[in-house]
Amino acid sequence: MDTFATLIDALFSPLWTPVLVGALIGLLAFAQRWLADQPLSCSTGFANLAGYLKPGSARDPEGDWRIVFLVGIVLGGLIATLSDGAPAWQGTAAEFGRFYTALVPDSTLGSAIWWLVGGLLIGFGARLAGGCTSGHTIAGVAMGAPASLVASVVFFAVAVGTAQLAAWMLGV
Amino acid sequence: MINRRNRLFLVFGIGFGFLLSRAGATSPAIISELLLFENLRLLWVIATAVAIGAALTWLAWRLGWRARNTGEPISIQHKPFKRGLIVGAVLFGLGWAGTGVCPGTALAMIGEGKGFALWVGAGILVGSGAGTWINRRLERG
Repeated sequence: MDTFATLIDALFSPLWTPVLVGALIGLLAFAQRWLADQPLSCSTGFANLAGYLKPGSARDPEGDWRIVFLVGIVLGGLIATLSDGAPAWQGTAAEFGRFYTALVPDSTLGSAIWWLVGGLLIGFGARLAGGCTSGHTIAGVAMGAPASLVASVVFFAVAVGTAQLAAWMLGV
Repeated sequence: MINRRNRLFLVFGIGFGFLLSRAGATSPAIISELLLFENLRLLWVIATAVAIGAALTWLAWRLGWRARNTGEPISIQHKPFKRGLIVGAVLFGLGWAGTGVCPGTALAMIGEGKGFALWVGAGILVGSGAGTWINRRLERG
């Protein structure tokens, strides 16, 4: 009975053991290839969605599943937050952590522009690179793709370097 | 719109979004702790996911596992070295470090009710559209 209660508690806790979550993500990503022969992919779905929303463009029904997958991720996040027993997100400094609290502008307009420009860099960069942390790092590196390995090394090197430099300049 | 493949990918998406949340990948604070080497839990998540994926890829190749939908051996798809790969990866790294968000986690964060992720998601959408346009121009010449 105690084991059962412990398991239930673990299921509803906000953070799971890293190796367990990693293994489940690896299995899920492989299940996509086993059942549909389609590797994990997020940024291509954003590109398809952008194409659909552009006036006068024809929809490609063959790419619908990529957008359905994106909708699923939103629902997955909703289910996760409804079942973790933690208070709802308030956007406090503690929730953003000391680095992003110092980095992002304080004003409502300034922060909105910051998030939007950051998103533009992410979307534009992912299209130029041909994938993101899902398609290149989790799926591509696991399949031994050289281009994905190079892209992933650059993703991490630039992100770590930028964050370390910014943290040093901000003194946080 | 409602067919077997779309239903399947709705379930895959729900699973992926849920796991990203339980991993802590949807917390900007935890992302910054990864990039500043203060808490490496997300590194272990990514490393385990890649290791499991690589082991299964090897087994599938070695034992000739077949995909359920095609009946053919599971394909091993290598993304190409695109002309914009390095520049794109640098821009992606800057955006990732600047916001603590990537395309997959942006969506899970929206589901979690993190309002700022709507701005990031809108940026990713517009940026993806612009990136597709540039890719076409690069491919043409």
